[in-house]
Amino acid sequence: MDAEDGFDPTLLKKKKKKKTTFDLDAALGLEDDTKKEDPLDEASADAGAAELEDNLDLESFGKKKKKKKKPFNMDDIEAAVPSFGGEDATAATEEPEEEEINLDMDFSMAKKKKKSKKKDLDELFADKLDDDKGEDKENVEDNSSTWAGSDRDYTYDELLKRVFEIILDKNPDMAAGRKPKFVMRPPQVLRVGTKKTSFANFMDIAKTLHRLPKHLLDFLLAELGTSGSMDGNQQLIIKGRFQPKQIENVLRRYIKEYVTCHTCRSPETILQKDTRLFFLQCESCGSRCSVASIKSGFQAVTGKRAAIRAKTT
Amino acid sequence: MSIQNLNTRDPFADAIKGNDDDIQDGLVHIRIQQRNGRKTLTTVQGLSAEYDLKKIVRSCKKEFACNGTVIEHPEYGEVLQLQGDQRENICQWLTKVGLAKPDQLKVHGF
Repeated sequence: MDAEDGFDPTLLKKKKKKKTTFDLDAALGLEDDTKKEDPLDEASADAGAAELEDNLDLESFGKKKKKKKKPFNMDDIEAAVPSFGGEDATAATEEPEEEEINLDMDFSMAKKKKKSKKKDLDELFADKLDDDKGEDKENVEDNSSTWAGSDRDYTYDELLKRVFEIILDKNPDMAAGRKPKFVMRPPQVLRVGTKKTSFANFMDIAKTLHRLPKHLLDFLLAELGTSGSMDGNQQLIIKGRFQPKQIENVLRRYIKEYVTCHTCRSPETILQKDTRLFFLQCESCGSRCSVASIKSGFQAVTGKRAAIRAKTT
Repeated sequence: MSIQNLNTRDPFADAIKGNDDDIQDGLVHIRIQQRNGRKTLTTVQGLSAEYDLKKIVRSCKKEFACNGTVIEHPEYGEVLQLQGDQRENICQWLTKVGLAKPDQLKVHGF
């Protein structure tokens, strides 16, 4: 593989794209990470879209109009039906070459076409952001079709895309691995008074993580170095001021350590206690490993020393 | 690409490396605690007892422009305690001075 690494700039880009998606998976779909990935993704989507457009131009002169048109117009019709359904439908059935002619003749038609093309690109963006599988598939179809009909040699890039598509088709599990299927709601953290913080959806989060609330509570309190407890309506009251962002950071660390499998990073795991140690058993890959115990470690004296002394004596 | 199994790995590499004790073993826990108001404390637990913690804290105080002290704890040994949120500073400083490797540092807190 390392021989082909510096093979083709497009290939490199492809690699990069793959990597980002995997990272995204690793981040388990926490919003922040997806946000961070967005620009990258968008950039690659841009490249992909540009490529697609290139293909489009190429193909409108070639003979494979029908194939190209299919993904193109499906969306188009859907988008354009309310305003000018019939017209668009006729346009859809027409050949792209004719459109080129129309472009010269009918201004409104041309304008509309252009707009729809743009819309298509936008939709591509959206597709890309939601789920790059669809985009990939389209890309692959384009590429495979470009060389399938002609007798020109296929390139490594096209073959790579093709093999990825086949892999995705054959095992949908991998497709699931590419997109974040583990979407967490952000923690609702509010200030209670001036010195306490309430973590309102603590129970929900513990439930979505499939962990005992007590375990998560222990971890949170040990990490934050404070004390806290559950109150009457199932929310956590923590002593000290904390921002939602900070709690989110701690939750992310919890997920990394105690929820995701250390081998395959799948979140389908069970935490079980065995001879005083916690073990993480993965449901998808079957691995089993011990996880660090929760220790709060050294705690400095932050309260009033006089009060502590009064309590001990 | 080389075949990994045929790589000769020195089984005593770790032992030899352990002799020149530039870098300590074990994790260094860096924690933060909230005090009243916006004030915080940073504690550094797990630095090896071979180091002179008093000297470390002296240079830390100078470097970060904060106060600090060494606390004796029956269970955890000597613990550094610095005023303010010095987690970033202490991480950089420990790696820069070579007391600990970046993967030995474990930063807790928010």
